[in-house]
Amino acid sequence: MTESIYTVTIRSIYISSIAALIAFMSSIALSTIISRLSRKYVEIVSSVFEALVGVPTTVIGLLVYMLLFPKGPLGALKLIYTPYAIIIGEFLVAFPMAYTYMFRHYYTRREKIRELVLSLGCTEKPVFKLLLRELTPILLSAYLVSFSRAMGELGVALIVGGGIEGYTNVLTTAIAIQTSLGNYEYAIQLGLILVSITVSLVVVLKLLGERVLWRLD
Amino acid sequence: MEIRLEDVWFTYDGASYVLKNINLELANPGLYILIGPNGSGKTTLLKIISLILKPSKGRILVNGVDYWGLSDESRQIELKSRIVYVHDKPILLRGSVEYNLKLGLKLRGDLRVDESLVEYYIDRYMLREILDKPASKLSSGQAKTISILRALILNPEIIALDEPFTFLDASRTSLLIQDLARIASNGSIVIIATHYIHRELKPHIKQVVELINGEISNI
Repeated sequence: MTESIYTVTIRSIYISSIAALIAFMSSIALSTIISRLSRKYVEIVSSVFEALVGVPTTVIGLLVYMLLFPKGPLGALKLIYTPYAIIIGEFLVAFPMAYTYMFRHYYTRREKIRELVLSLGCTEKPVFKLLLRELTPILLSAYLVSFSRAMGELGVALIVGGGIEGYTNVLTTAIAIQTSLGNYEYAIQLGLILVSITVSLVVVLKLLGERVLWRLD
Repeated sequence: MEIRLEDVWFTYDGASYVLKNINLELANPGLYILIGPNGSGKTTLLKIISLILKPSKGRILVNGVDYWGLSDESRQIELKSRIVYVHDKPILLRGSVEYNLKLGLKLRGDLRVDESLVEYYIDRYMLREILDKPASKLSSGQAKTISILRALILNPEIIALDEPFTFLDASRTSLLIQDLARIASNGSIVIIATHYIHRELKPHIKQVVELINGEISNI
């Protein structure tokens, strides 16, 4: 029996949005730490993350599998072939993307805002809050980029999720499995849903971001 | 309020000094001019006076207290709140002109806000019509005006301005010179870094400090 498109879609959105959220929050935390380091270290970390963006998702999937499989270092947690395993894997896929997208803006704006705040006779305390406000569109885009990356990846979901119907089957694994079964019509429908979700979310949130921006005062 | 720089040196990269052996006293209210060619260290010196940059060597005495040697954070905050600095290139944030204009007041949570002073500057510089306009849509001159007024409405005891007349038209330059002269005569220290002394400014100047290659060459 083939699982309903609706269930697969909801599961995909749920897993990817959580993975993207963790990647997004981690990127903000890492950006805050790295932006305080000297330029040399900033460049080293940025180069490493830029390189990680290009790592194939199957390699990340393999890495997570090695960690989570029953005899692996984290095997006792029994996470392999669960949605949690996919969330961990998708987080690792999305994190370098979110960080790379966010950091340059974060770094340059942070220094300017810090100077502005100090120039107005204040301490550095409000810098972080002002920075988040100032970077709202960038942060929104960084979340969307990481969500799209998590939603569209196949390697991790297949290797550590296994595409189990009713449990770990997400849009990408469903497309792969249905195509291999020759169920092309169903696979095409899933593909269209995947593309339309990603595209429409990006468009809607971008427009929304622009509109709410001036109401942050 | 008075500020004294004792044997101040500053380096950005740890190798070459931008400021060398600076000894300067701003003890009395008035309008001070910091003059010097491009790259002479004027901006760095203003940022040190404004307590934004910490000297690599030397001491900054604010009302006789070694500011960077202070362990009492609340005393440090109190002293810092009395000194403001205006950047050469205005830094405006996303949001309306009004948001940017009142940013300093908002950040400081200043309960003693003199609304009449805010209104005075809004009317004097004819800003009422653009208060709701996004700051990103302002011309260079308008942005500069907002960044200067944002500092003036804080009613500081020391105000340091880096090339304040750049981008301003003649009428706004005149208005600003009158305001800075008035602020200085009312008891504040106004220090302006520039490479050219405006004609209208000359009658109000208390002292000119010349900076060449990071050293004070003439007071």
